Amino acid sequence: MVERSQWCSALQALPEEQILSLAKEMLSVWQVRPKVIPQAGLGMLKLHDSALCEPFYLGEFPLASAWIEVETADGTLAEGAAQIMSARTELAEALALCDAVLAARLPGWQQVAELLAAGVAIRARIATERKRILSSTQVDFSLLDDVGGEDA
Amino acid sequence: MLELSAIWKPETQQQLFRALLNAMARPGSRESNVIPADGEAIGLPVLAVLVDAAVTLADPHQLLRKSDWSLLQAAEKSADTADYIFCDGNRAPEFSPKLGTLTGPEQSATLIVSVSGLNSVTTRLKLKGPGIAESTTLVIDGLDPAWIHAREDWVCEFPLGVDLILVSETQLAAIPRTTNVEVL
Repeated sequence: MVERSQWCSALQALPEEQILSLAKEMLSVWQVRPKVIPQAGLGMLKLHDSALCEPFYLGEFPLASAWIEVETADGTLAEGAAQIMSARTELAEALALCDAVLAARLPGWQQVAELLAAGVAIRARIATERKRILSSTQVDFSLLDDVGGEDA
Repeated sequence: MLELSAIWKPETQQQLFRALLNAMARPGSRESNVIPADGEAIGLPVLAVLVDAAVTLADPHQLLRKSDWSLLQAAEKSADTADYIFCDGNRAPEFSPKLGTLTGPEQSATLIVSVSGLNSVTTRLKLKGPGIAESTTLVIDGLDPAWIHAREDWVCEFPLGVDLILVSETQLAAIPRTTNVEVL
């Protein structure tokens, strides 16, 4: 099983509609309450420059977050949360619900697990593809040593 | 997707913020845009508008539930040091709120006091000062007289002081530090 910290990222590899429709089904049968107000806005990433180590902001990125509590029909309580680079609180809420369902093994968790496995497979495929592109563009600078003396 | 209570929705909060601005600009005027909190503490809608993670909040009379705290996101502090204090008007104040400094009078506390009503008469106050043409009368039900005496001490060294927001189930009124209050 993938680590919980990777669940959101893996599920986001799938089309949003798949996640949203699954969450909608679950919402219709359970009570879902927000623990904090779901929010969407802009995040700012602070970095330090390599020369003087002075902080600077690398620009803004969309950020949405949700933290929810689920109560099933038999009174089982579970919590889930999500923080994603997106401007859609709906998606963050749906991912937080998936997080709660999977973490607490609530009824229907197998459906979420299947989506998670599909998301992990997509991410693995993308990673392999990126690796292939990276290796095909790799430059072997050691070859320059052979002709290094000619400029002198 | 999630169903939030109306008090947490932006459109409600914008209306209530407008009502708060009017109330502060016209001390003693009663604003009726307070959405009744459904089973929640009276005054919570006002807190939902004013408070967020950047400020501190005190609840000396334990009016808030644990779930309210996580939605408000404010850090809890004692009433002596908090930016906002949420109190029950029926109980006498037993704290000294921060009054700001001469160079930073805005670093004082804002008190949100829940009262039983702003229509029926238990306490009748005559208000004078900026924002009031000559004088106005504010009637309050469910405010311990000790609040008026304590406020006199808190605002006696202007610009230091506190601002009071009185909230009933459906109405609110403000008494800023600039207002002169006389009990009738």
